[in-house]
Amino acid sequence: DSQKIDREGKIPDDILEKLKSLGLFGMQVPEEYGIILVGTEEQKAKYLPRLASGEHMAAFCLTEPASGSDAASIQTRATLSEDKKHYILNGSKVWITNGGLANIFTVFAKTEVVDSDGSVKDKMTAFIVERDFGGVTNGKPEDKLGIRGSNTCEVHFENTKVPVENVLGEVGGGFKVAMNILNSGRFSMGSAVAGMLKKLIELTADYACTRKQFNKRLSEFGLIQEKFALMAQKAYVMESMAYLTAGMLDQPELPDCSVEAAMVKVFSSESAWQCVSEALQILGGSGYMKDYPYERMLRDARILLIFEGTNEILRMFIALTGLQHAGRILTERIHELKRGNVTTIMETVGRRIRDSLGRTVDLGLTGNLGVVHPSLGESANKLEENVYYFGRTVENLLLRFGKTIVEEQLVLKRVANVLINLYGMVAVLSRASRSIRIGLRNHDHEILLANMFCTEAYVQNLFSLSQLDKDAPENLDEQIKKVSREILEQRTYICAHPLERTS
Amino acid sequence: MSLVPHPPEPPKKPIKAPAPHEELFRQEPGGERDKASFVRAVQNFGQYNVRKRGHVDFIYLALRKMREYGVERDLTVYNLLLDIFPKEVFRPRSVIQRIFLHYPRQQECGIAVLEQMENHGVMPNKETEFLLIQIFGRKSYPMLKYLRMRLWLTRFKNINPFPVPRDLPQDPVDLAKLGLRHIEPDLSARITVYQMPLSDDLTGTEDPIQPHIVGIQSPDQQAALAHHNPARPVFVEGPFSLWLRSKCVYYHILRADLLPPEERKVEKIPEEWNLYYPMQLDLDYGRSGWDDYEFDIDEVEEGPIFAMCMAGAHDQATLAKWIQGLQETNPALAQIPVIFRLAGSTGELLTSSGLEEPPRPLCEVQEEDDDHRKQQQQGRS
Repeated sequence: DSQKIDREGKIPDDILEKLKSLGLFGMQVPEEYGIILVGTEEQKAKYLPRLASGEHMAAFCLTEPASGSDAASIQTRATLSEDKKHYILNGSKVWITNGGLANIFTVFAKTEVVDSDGSVKDKMTAFIVERDFGGVTNGKPEDKLGIRGSNTCEVHFENTKVPVENVLGEVGGGFKVAMNILNSGRFSMGSAVAGMLKKLIELTADYACTRKQFNKRLSEFGLIQEKFALMAQKAYVMESMAYLTAGMLDQPELPDCSVEAAMVKVFSSESAWQCVSEALQILGGSGYMKDYPYERMLRDARILLIFEGTNEILRMFIALTGLQHAGRILTERIHELKRGNVTTIMETVGRRIRDSLGRTVDLGLTGNLGVVHPSLGESANKLEENVYYFGRTVENLLLRFGKTIVEEQLVLKRVANVLINLYGMVAVLSRASRSIRIGLRNHDHEILLANMFCTEAYVQNLFSLSQLDKDAPENLDEQIKKVSREILEQRTYICAHPLERTS
Repeated sequence: MSLVPHPPEPPKKPIKAPAPHEELFRQEPGGERDKASFVRAVQNFGQYNVRKRGHVDFIYLALRKMREYGVERDLTVYNLLLDIFPKEVFRPRSVIQRIFLHYPRQQECGIAVLEQMENHGVMPNKETEFLLIQIFGRKSYPMLKYLRMRLWLTRFKNINPFPVPRDLPQDPVDLAKLGLRHIEPDLSARITVYQMPLSDDLTGTEDPIQPHIVGIQSPDQQAALAHHNPARPVFVEGPFSLWLRSKCVYYHILRADLLPPEERKVEKIPEEWNLYYPMQLDLDYGRSGWDDYEFDIDEVEEGPIFAMCMAGAHDQATLAKWIQGLQETNPALAQIPVIFRLAGSTGELLTSSGLEEPPRPLCEVQEEDDDHRKQQQQGRS
């Protein structure tokens, strides 16, 4: 009973028992990812059976009061004991999911590591800590805005003895472990949110087709139809993105899909917030009442933008990873240009002239040998154009900023937005083509959704890319920075009140 | 036109020559026609002559007999039939054999088997592909047809926007509900069963005393009926036929004629309706010619239809019961005169003997005014 869980703030025990018996505890919860990804055979054999059967629960302890997104500045320390068989763990972690119920914790702490050149540094290490090791206490469950059924609390470690065998990965390698765990757990949000949106569309459509105002059903009003189309479109796109990422991850070489997972997470969390808000709006006053599940879903959806990496941080991650990859390829060319290689200069100049005269880009998606079905041909052309101009823009950005682009967050934000849109377009076009080729039902509906999303994303991308030009009039970065500087200096709103007079 | 050639017309002699190998399909006394006996008959052919003479005719015969044995949707049976062909004989071995259609009769026979599979919507599998390669080789026409089936049958599976399930329900009430849902797919329409079929034990199940009556009406139709002018009559028309795969069901509709233009009331939007924005702008001109998409040559305006029903019998008594049932949800119906316009013929046009029966329309026009008479009838029946 979700309402009761929301009110009381905890999931009743019998439901937990049923989940255990269904074996759902064996699903890939991020806490176990650490053990599965990095654990040695003995660690896996020792902990995984108990976790999968639901006897014990695991919790992932990384955040501290002073370090949320900034994970490398944690204060928890683990010192090696004299007999070198134990680590003594001291510190406290905050906002730990399942903190009160878990028996096994994946804790990140700073340890002293001796480098190869003899200098002693503090590096992060991951440990598997059991509650039986002693010294593990947890605070009271926090009262949250949403997902109130989940038990979130502080966990304190006081002189907890952790045997040396319980180190996950290697000593000092905790940073990589944390990154891997966070990257792998991210993209499942896409499919979860898509499922929630589908249910939402069902519930809301029922209401919209029965309620009559001004002698017309709500479903006949254009603004309401627009909201439904938006929900359907976002659900389709995020589902396609999630499954495309999952398909990529299933390939035998286990490719690193952290960027794609991040893109899925950002898109899904933002669309979830927008669509749940619109669905609540369709219901009007009843959506606001606690009797209906909409306000609860809205509150639950708000956390999606924050946990598993805040959306802002993830945008930086997406943009910077992409730029690093592009930068490596570009370094070659920049070196050649600097050396004065005539052919390269002529190439670049020729390309710039052709771009300014306006060209059509054909990357091979459409046409006789194209992979995209002809009914999606226009959208594929838009995608190709966007990709080409995005490439040009990235080149220009790297030439202008170079390494210092790390500080230009507003530029990186636009780059990340373009990237997310492009990935969405790719996912949607491939899924729609496939469903036409196989003949799934309602594939013409899918074509509609795909074309709609591609047109919208194309227009948004063009605007973002035009903003990224040097001294573009659409680029308001300078003004934004100036305004925020003036406001933050005084820490208040600085304009004079409209009724003030100087005389 | 099916590729399976029909047997030649029997000559005018009273004795018909049986098709070759027909005795294999002769029904044993006491045995039913099902998959096992079909498979046995096919295997007996193989035992008859090791050289498999006349296998082409046998396969054509078997294809014709499949429907009687009820195995036309079974993939394993088709693979068994393809198995009858001798294997490596028909594959072309030289370029010249490949240019000219090698063993044309056998290739046509293979294509006929695949065509019957396609007509019944059976999807061939890897075993079929292997058999075809073994029998005809990779570049033969049956193989080409197989590849086309693999491509197009998947694509056509969901192509029907209004799919009818393959196994239709046997129960007439369920069938009626399915049919009504197909006519009116709007989810806000409600289906009500006014009468379940009840049969007396004496008369047996063929002639139930109480035929089933299943009706459908949506809230819009209810509102329209409530607003209907009691001076104008409503008509019960029917029966109209609706085909669901191989079954024909009949439905009746309750409709009224269009109001002549002078009586049509234009809904005046009240002045103070919407608190927030004006529902009607005070401008003199309407929609400009460039933006006017209202006219559609295919759209013909018909009178309103208030409800539909499917009943077991098509006579006035059952339909009167339907009207009575409708009156519970539409009390306004009591004041409106109901005229029954029923066409007499309810049989299908083509009877089993193959002759066409011209429909004999009997326009029974009876007027029933007021519920007084209906109540009298109710008291009587």
